[in-house]
Amino acid sequence: MSNILTVLIFFPLIAAILGLFVSQKSIRVYGITVAAAEFLLSLWLWMSFDTNEAGMQFVEKLKLIPEFGISYYLGVDGISLFIVIMATLMTLIGIIALSVKENLKNMIITLLFLEVAMVGVFVSLDVILFYVFWEFSLVPMLYIIGAWGGDKRLYASIKFFIYTFAGSLVMLVGILYVAYAYYSTTGVWSFSLTDWYGLILPFSVQKYLFWAFFLGFAIKVPMVPFHTWLPYAHGQAPTVGSVILAAVLLKMGSYGFVRFSLPLFPDASVAYITPVVIIAIIMIIYTAMVAYAQKDMKQVIAYSSISHMGIIVLGTFAMNVEGIAGSVFQMLSHGIVSGALFLLVGAIYDRRHTKLLSEFGGIAKVMPNYATIFVIMTMASVGLPLTIGFIGEYLSLLGFFKVSPLLTVIAGTSIILGAVYMLSVVKKTFFGPLTNPENEKLKDLSTKELTALIPLVAIVVWLGIYPKPVLGPINNSTKALVQLMHKKSITPKAQEIILVSKDKGVNK
Amino acid sequence: MESYVYIALFAPLVSSLFAALFAQKPKVQLVGIATSILIGAALVASVILLLDIEETGKAVSVNLMDWIVVGDLDTKFGFTVDQVTVIMMTVVTLISTVVHVYSNYYMESDKSFNRFFSYLSAFVFSMMILVMSDNFLGLFIGWEGVGVCSWLLIGFWYHKKDETRDVNPSISPSWAANEAFIMNRIADLGMLVGIFLIYWNLGTLKYTEVFAHIGDLSHAMLVGIGIALFIGAMGKSAQFPLHTWLADAMEGPTPVSALIHAATMVTAGVYLVIRANPLYSQIPEVGYGIAVLGTFVAIFAASMALVNRDLKRVIAYSTLSQLGYMFAAAGLGAYWVALFHLAAHAAFKALLFIGAGNVMHAMHDELDMFKMGGLKKVMGWTFLYMGIGSLALSGIYPFAGFFSKDTILEVAFNEHTYGIWFVLWLTAGLTAFYSFRQVFLVFFGDERYHEIGAHPHEAKPYALWAMAPLAIAAVTVGFFKEDFVEFVTKFLPEYEMSEHTEHMVVILTIITTLVALTGIVVAYLKYAKGLKRDLEFEQNNKIYKLLYNQYYIPVIYDRVFAKPYKELSDIAWKEIDMQVVDASVDGIAKFVEKSGDASRKAQNGNLSSYLNWMAAGLVFITVIAAIAVAVQ
Repeated sequence: MSNILTVLIFFPLIAAILGLFVSQKSIRVYGITVAAAEFLLSLWLWMSFDTNEAGMQFVEKLKLIPEFGISYYLGVDGISLFIVIMATLMTLIGIIALSVKENLKNMIITLLFLEVAMVGVFVSLDVILFYVFWEFSLVPMLYIIGAWGGDKRLYASIKFFIYTFAGSLVMLVGILYVAYAYYSTTGVWSFSLTDWYGLILPFSVQKYLFWAFFLGFAIKVPMVPFHTWLPYAHGQAPTVGSVILAAVLLKMGSYGFVRFSLPLFPDASVAYITPVVIIAIIMIIYTAMVAYAQKDMKQVIAYSSISHMGIIVLGTFAMNVEGIAGSVFQMLSHGIVSGALFLLVGAIYDRRHTKLLSEFGGIAKVMPNYATIFVIMTMASVGLPLTIGFIGEYLSLLGFFKVSPLLTVIAGTSIILGAVYMLSVVKKTFFGPLTNPENEKLKDLSTKELTALIPLVAIVVWLGIYPKPVLGPINNSTKALVQLMHKKSITPKAQEIILVSKDKGVNK
Repeated sequence: MESYVYIALFAPLVSSLFAALFAQKPKVQLVGIATSILIGAALVASVILLLDIEETGKAVSVNLMDWIVVGDLDTKFGFTVDQVTVIMMTVVTLISTVVHVYSNYYMESDKSFNRFFSYLSAFVFSMMILVMSDNFLGLFIGWEGVGVCSWLLIGFWYHKKDETRDVNPSISPSWAANEAFIMNRIADLGMLVGIFLIYWNLGTLKYTEVFAHIGDLSHAMLVGIGIALFIGAMGKSAQFPLHTWLADAMEGPTPVSALIHAATMVTAGVYLVIRANPLYSQIPEVGYGIAVLGTFVAIFAASMALVNRDLKRVIAYSTLSQLGYMFAAAGLGAYWVALFHLAAHAAFKALLFIGAGNVMHAMHDELDMFKMGGLKKVMGWTFLYMGIGSLALSGIYPFAGFFSKDTILEVAFNEHTYGIWFVLWLTAGLTAFYSFRQVFLVFFGDERYHEIGAHPHEAKPYALWAMAPLAIAAVTVGFFKEDFVEFVTKFLPEYEMSEHTEHMVVILTIITTLVALTGIVVAYLKYAKGLKRDLEFEQNNKIYKLLYNQYYIPVIYDRVFAKPYKELSDIAWKEIDMQVVDASVDGIAKFVEKSGDASRKAQNGNLSSYLNWMAAGLVFITVIAAIAVAVQ
């Protein structure tokens, strides 16, 4: 099947439209079936993926507006492949774990639309197409937060929408300028990313474009100080919204850095390593502190997300294979782990209708399975070796160490501060005497919840011990990316910093 | 031989997973038995490997599979069993087997019996990875793994509530567990930096490759790596200033203290320095720093043990102190001496802790030695064991500590570091004093336990039998010193005493033994006949209070680090994040809204008003254009 990517995008779309005609009663089964089929399709994509090939695969190209070089252009490589799989997996898990009762049908249809947008963003190789999916992803999330959220849901959802939309508009200007620059050099219009990769821009142009794209991605990631929409969005969003937001939507920003900023503007990326990484470090430490101060369990996880995204940005700007591949792996790791943690918080919220840490204590006794899974995810979150969380964090720090040992040591405090806020949550929630009588009758995880969580636990352990099936393709594509950056970089500084591996990989 | 490597490594994992199957069920006796047998199998495999390496002199290596392969980084799950490793393996599995068997007794009525064995075996597995890995990243897996198991086991009785420091200096098991984890993480950052430095300078993390090319690096770089790795070692081995967690870790069940916080995990730092001896041999100045710090910790910890009344804390401080001895030896370049003391100490310290466990059981978990006394009558065997342990710790002939600790003192003398020698010598006296203060307070004198209504009893026979191997080791290990030296110096550098030291050995031995005997005699005179408390002294003497409160270091850490961090975090959230960052975002949004609202009034439907605005706009644009032309 050569057009598997098209199927991956349009299958949930058609299913969502057909879902309108499915009865309320059977919508849950319908949703799970569709999401499972989509997930299996994405697994099939992986099975048919040539792991020795570093470039784009399953490429489809169809001219849409030839006058402006806009086309329907899709493809995946090792960098995007696993993010797509994660998007379909987390959608499936989110739907399995759904606990909303009102308007369940609308929720499932919305989630399927969101899946279309998520898959679309990560497989688009035409920049206009990318931008369309990028913006389209806002709409279902706006609806999820606005319709199923908490008390301040409208404020939170509108803030989320306008804030990220504003950033995207600046990016759009950047996109149009690159297209114009491409037209000026070659005489033809093209929005194809692979065409753009061949374009060498002077540094004076790169620097403006870098920041234009940066703003769009930074708000999405979100990087400090553009992050305040996130705690509101998480605070108000229903569990499934938080899971998908943290696991997949934030990755659009960090993916953007890897897919656009680095290869399109290698010289500017190198030139601005210091300011970007200082923001990343502030992000890591500052939000780790803010996370520690939180009184609400979900807000701890929300702020910890920002802190971990800081490590991802750090790894991306390491400009070597170790760091960039590590940051891509960390995107997956963070998706799985923060997704699981949001599910866990949701489970306790469903029972007690509160997420305040002060309400809990000692519940390991009544919910041993819950406590066990929470602790496993905590350990993955603090980056314990042999869990998925270690590899990405370690590689990101290792990679950036080559650029600046001092900054890496400062960023490395995340391994300490992460333990501080996560262990504090574990202690406050699970340990100590069980004092609150309302907690005495808490039921342990239900079959439904276990069905959603156990696969995530399995992934955390499996990829922690044997990351090769995932890390291998990421490694190949990252090597190719770094070679491309090195080849097209023009400033001596970029030539020096962008570090091509000695081992050139198996690029056949 | 490869299969024995796998047995030694994976039997504990199987053991842990097996016990985990029953983790939430009520006690299953089979779990205790099966795990003990599996750990015993790892011991047998380790001993077979020991004998094989003894015979062939060759290390056994296995490569399991790839782990992290990215860029030029190629990390495998690779394991090598050489002379140092096999000694560590034997020590670890021996103590682990004893502790597993003993835990069947100690935890017999604990509700979470099965869970306990799962954690305990998981610890052994992590420890085996730590000592068997053939590269630094593999070591780091074990390093973090033992940290987590330690966290789980210190906090094993998680349901206990937080107390103030006056009631319980460790606050609570879960608090102590978090403290241990976080403090170790601080050190782990140093360790990671060491690993990063090695990778970017040598392109590999495998010991053999790293140490083969270590000479290519600049001296400054070696110093950097040496310091970074040692910072990692300081966390696991609880060296000052990262030492406070070890005493608090006594909140864990006593078999855990015996295994993890005395015999094995805390010696991981020493193991690291011994393992990296080709590195530290190149940078003697860092080694000297390590020795000085170790010496300081030796006396610093011993001083706190002098006055403490808590049975387990006294042993914990003595562990700290003995770790200091090991670092002193390793720092001075006498790697095999450090390893020998590590092995000997593991045996007699585990014996002491398990003995303390018997006492605790007899006393219904009472830890205050001032409430014990006269237990010799009811607990003859435990008394004998703890007596042997204390004699070994004090370094009395012919017990193990005599051979291992005396050698460290000789090394200090031989290196002409007389300051180190003197402090370690003095500490030997203090060690003997506090060890026998403990023995006399617990087993001799008046039976103060009647006041708290305790009915002490001896431990079950099989528990006492389980302790026998440790007691035998504590008595006999010293006599194998020559064999030990011959065996490990095939891998570790030899350490030769100068002729001058050789002449002095007899005199040195005598004065060291004298100071130890003095300590014992003083303890006897003061405590053997019964406890006479001087309450005024305890309440008013500044030095006593200073020592009793651990130099106020935990309180200082609390005030200087923990509290300000919490306050800063609150400020970061409430003041900065909410009041500044988010408020400016909302401010911008409000400004847009307000200005839109204000300019809405222009849309009033009045034609003449529109014309006015049009004229104003026309004038404005004309002026702008005029200026633009003028500028050009």
